Amino acid sequence: MKAFLFAVTLMAALPRTTTAQAPNARDLSGYWELTYMDSQHVPRAQLAPRVTRAALDAQAQKDFKAVRWCNILGMPAIMASPRPLDIRQTDRTIVIAAEINAATRYIYLNRATHISNDIFDPTTNGDSIARWENDTLVVDTIGFDPNKGLTAIPGGGFRTANSHLVERFRLLNNGSLLSVRFTWTDPGVFRTPHSYEFRYARLPRDYEARLPLNCDPFDENRTAFLTTRP
Amino acid sequence: MQVKLFAALATLTIVLGAQAVATAQRAADGARALEGGWVRLDTTGSGSFGGLTSTFARAVLTPEGAARVKPQRDPDDVDPDNRPHKAGEPYIVTQGRCGVGGPGVIEPNSAAFFVIPTRDELLITREGPGARHIYMDGREHPPLSRIVPSGAGHSTARWDGADLVVDTTGLAEGGVTAGGWRTPETHVTERYHVADDGKRMRITFTWTDPKIYAQPHSYSFDFERLPADGYAFENWCDSGDPLQRQSVVPPEQLP
Repeated sequence: MKAFLFAVTLMAALPRTTTAQAPNARDLSGYWELTYMDSQHVPRAQLAPRVTRAALDAQAQKDFKAVRWCNILGMPAIMASPRPLDIRQTDRTIVIAAEINAATRYIYLNRATHISNDIFDPTTNGDSIARWENDTLVVDTIGFDPNKGLTAIPGGGFRTANSHLVERFRLLNNGSLLSVRFTWTDPGVFRTPHSYEFRYARLPRDYEARLPLNCDPFDENRTAFLTTRP
Repeated sequence: MQVKLFAALATLTIVLGAQAVATAQRAADGARALEGGWVRLDTTGSGSFGGLTSTFARAVLTPEGAARVKPQRDPDDVDPDNRPHKAGEPYIVTQGRCGVGGPGVIEPNSAAFFVIPTRDELLITREGPGARHIYMDGREHPPLSRIVPSGAGHSTARWDGADLVVDTTGLAEGGVTAGGWRTPETHVTERYHVADDGKRMRITFTWTDPKIYAQPHSYSFDFERLPADGYAFENWCDSGDPLQRQSVVPPEQLP
């Protein structure tokens, strides 16, 4: 009988794929969602003197056109998605896929320098590289296109070709929350680096991505809604 | 008696344990091999999308399946105007519609795609919005009544040795390569096999649906791995740009 119990114990110790695993502070994989309004701590940005009312209005016009015509939105809008973000991580790459009209974000862990300006065409998401500092993922992004997508930055200002973004991703509350602290530097836009923090709640493992939100630039009803004063 | 029972159970435990470890190792090897960027190859030198698939065996359809097949046309196409165009004169061939939501289609086109395998989910992404979310945690497909049919459907997968085997259903009704057809009930199985050198990959698609196919409809595409230091581009499309709709300018004709 003892032998039988011992053997059963041994079998129970066999590797299983379904065994629950303790959260790994360096694994961000999962679905993450901004929750109620308390998930965004966004102070007002200190804008540079050259960012005049006229400059802000001109940028707002560009942003409106991007929304009106269903352009891909890019950073930082993708990180403020009203739908969950699917973040998947390997030892080489972290990918962030959204359920909105934004190109997937690729964050490279396997290179320490940005793609040369000589060959990198600026994009709405820019070129992102990352490294771990203890349990914090530090993502460094440059190479933004100033004329494409939604450029507005939470708290004020907008991204330009000279924008430099550093994001610090960190798991909180035993892995149930993801904190991302964003810091934008751009002497043409900000007097001092502009920082704000979002906190995303981890969704259950059985969450299934929904179809992306539809955006039809030729929907006349939608166009009227966007262009006519209520 | 007790000693024999112990020996037998211990042996069984060791054998099962070794098998489980070996299976997990093959899956891990498969995931490492599959991860990264891939681009479709024209292995026959056909030089065109149509040419690439023209050598595929045509689908053998049931009468019901054959009756369902309708001519396919890109809904974004604009009817051509019936007049000749001078050299250099642009004319509208597409509505230039961007941003209409959708996770894309399951067959990769000529643009690169990226595979990101993780424990619970394997993600396939492109150089624009949308992604295929392929569930690896052993879940079943939900009932069709709970799936909104789409170009990507609902996908689950498992490792068969180092091969990834994806099963998809819930696809929007429409055409399938080489004369096939699909409805939300149709299943397609994709087997991802990476060559031993890690540089090439083959995806074999097999479509099954007793209402549509008299026999499983199968074909393969080959892919080449992007360089290790490669990176994803970003597709740009602006419906608000009039040039987006004037995408064809007839070249000057040589005498």
